[in-house]
Amino acid sequence: MDTSSPVPIYDSTRRIHPALEELHEVFRFRHLILQLVRRDVLTRYKRSFLGIAWTMLNPLGMMLVWTIAFSQVFYRGGGADFAAYMLNGLLAWLFFSQTTTAAMVNFVWGGGLLHRIYMPRTSFALAASGTGLINLVLSLVPMVGVMLVTGVPLHWSALLTPLVMLVLVIFSLGVGLLLAAFAVYFPDIIEMYQIVLQAWMFLTPIMYPEEILPSAYRFWVTQLNPMYHLVRLYRIPLYYGRLPTVGEWLPSVLLALGVFVIGWLVFTSKSDEYAYRL
Amino acid sequence: MSFPPISSDDIIRLDNVSVHYRVAQERIGTLKEYAIRWLKGQIHRQNFRALDNVSLDVKRGEVFGLIGKNGAGKSTLLKLVARVLRPTTGRVWVKGRVAPLLEVGAGFHPELTGRENIYLNGAMLGFTRREMDAKFERIVAFAELGDFIDAPLRTYSSGMWARLGFAVATDTQPEVLIVDEVLSVGDEAFQRKSYERIQSFREQGATILIVSHNLDAIESMCQRAVWLDHGKVAALDSAQSVVSQYQGRVREDESERMGQAQLDTGHRWGNRKIEITRARITNSQNEDESIFYTGQTLVLRLEYMAHQPVQSPVFGMAIHRNDGLHITGPNTAFANMDLGLVQGSGEIMYTVPALALLEGLYHISVAAADREDTEIYDYHHLAYDFRVLNYGHGNVEKYGLATLNGIWQHTTGSQG
Repeated sequence: MDTSSPVPIYDSTRRIHPALEELHEVFRFRHLILQLVRRDVLTRYKRSFLGIAWTMLNPLGMMLVWTIAFSQVFYRGGGADFAAYMLNGLLAWLFFSQTTTAAMVNFVWGGGLLHRIYMPRTSFALAASGTGLINLVLSLVPMVGVMLVTGVPLHWSALLTPLVMLVLVIFSLGVGLLLAAFAVYFPDIIEMYQIVLQAWMFLTPIMYPEEILPSAYRFWVTQLNPMYHLVRLYRIPLYYGRLPTVGEWLPSVLLALGVFVIGWLVFTSKSDEYAYRL
Repeated sequence: MSFPPISSDDIIRLDNVSVHYRVAQERIGTLKEYAIRWLKGQIHRQNFRALDNVSLDVKRGEVFGLIGKNGAGKSTLLKLVARVLRPTTGRVWVKGRVAPLLEVGAGFHPELTGRENIYLNGAMLGFTRREMDAKFERIVAFAELGDFIDAPLRTYSSGMWARLGFAVATDTQPEVLIVDEVLSVGDEAFQRKSYERIQSFREQGATILIVSHNLDAIESMCQRAVWLDHGKVAALDSAQSVVSQYQGRVREDESERMGQAQLDTGHRWGNRKIEITRARITNSQNEDESIFYTGQTLVLRLEYMAHQPVQSPVFGMAIHRNDGLHITGPNTAFANMDLGLVQGSGEIMYTVPALALLEGLYHISVAAADREDTEIYDYHHLAYDFRVLNYGHGNVEKYGLATLNGIWQHTTGSQG
């Protein structure tokens, strides 16, 4: 018998607040979450010849298509560095859209596991964020490559990228948890969200510079769109090559923390019900 | 709400545990529909009680069985112990690590190799990567996977899949092992091996919860058992007692279902010169028994009281199957027994050394009469029941009424 660890005692009546309990359980099951990330990364491209290289090739390919389509057809103002501008924003957007979708879909479709074995309910969303983060870090390789090719200088400020990534991860995790909690009750949200994402992406200055927005709408599209702040913040240390100002940090950090806390509270407040519903 | 204190040898305790599912009467799939109904106040939910005020405790080292029909709440109870569900009311208390064999191999990923799945599944059971490193070789050896360990799971047979799941879940002895019909895993050799592993856990003091439809297994492996019926505890006692109570109910339910075909049982008539004071159906050890297996010894014991001296009475019995088929009617006269002058009390025994009847419900009538069968002293019409089961105890013959105890032989054509 395993005598190294103390015998755990489970008492269903002794419980701290579900949100805190979940934090504690996540720490206890941290190895599981790492294994789930490992599983997602390994299985995603397992049968493909290029394997994990697709993580880098995918956004690069998308960027090429968009560069041709947008800079040549729709928007002719950009120079060569426009590709770097677009790719930088695209990476932040793809991270957001993929991890929030995965947090929801993995939970709704993989949640049947919760009938059979105990695990923290947030494992799926956390693993989705972890997987997304690995892809995001790997995508720095093509990002830097495109910057070098298009002549965008790389500054020391790029070292701040992990910090802006963290803000993006926390925000996306919060949104993912909210979506997952609602999708358990209304599975239609999964499909609806894909449409919302499309519209949201076009409303966020990713494939166009924000200056081309008609001034009548610019305020609404930028200030009321959380992703505007996050994508912009993400571009600053890399593409713009400078340190973000306090005024640029503040909206993103507050949004990220706020959405994360709300997401965590809402998700964990229902955590006893998921096993009945999934 | 306060609960009774936990005693030191408790491993699992359920105190007044209820689990309610709130089931929407119609499925509402879209937000729009939900919003409209919510505004109209048209969201009706039914409360379904999967478990209703269940209290029980399982002691350290006990092998504890759960029986009941499908949907009686057995799985819900297991899930409470495994922490998968939280009770609606009441307390669930579990001491120690629980290894759920609810569905072995749950959480395996087909694209991952056996090796990767071992680590993933280990993490689900709460083990670190380093702990799994130490177990890895043992798990592979026990699951008999050999070179397949680095092949993706989608290339595994279902037997290999199940073996791997069992090996991971049971590599380290847990304080509590939950076994849900898993002994049907793999081939016969592996079943024996997994059975042995469970036995050795048991010898080393693990507490084991078993759900099975095989009442034989429950009776032979468990010390105590609970019978759940519609979410309530119908019986909680020694495994033998619970199994026999459960079988009694199954039998009643079945005879109820027989409806028209059921015999009109339980009539009694006669002038009581000789009264059959008691009729018992027992096994060879003189223990009352209502369930027999084909081939077992059945003894019918009739205790009588002759209220006046009677010359050469005849005692007899009849067996009818539940659908009314008269199987046989032996008596002491057919056996050329002369009982002489009978007075006071005594006992008549009729022994069937090896019961030839196959599975079914049977009724026994008993009677005392005079030699010419014209004067009935006491007649209990179809008043005693017994059931024959055909599983276990070697006999697997089924279909029809009786085994002929025939012997099969095979000779090949060429007399080489």
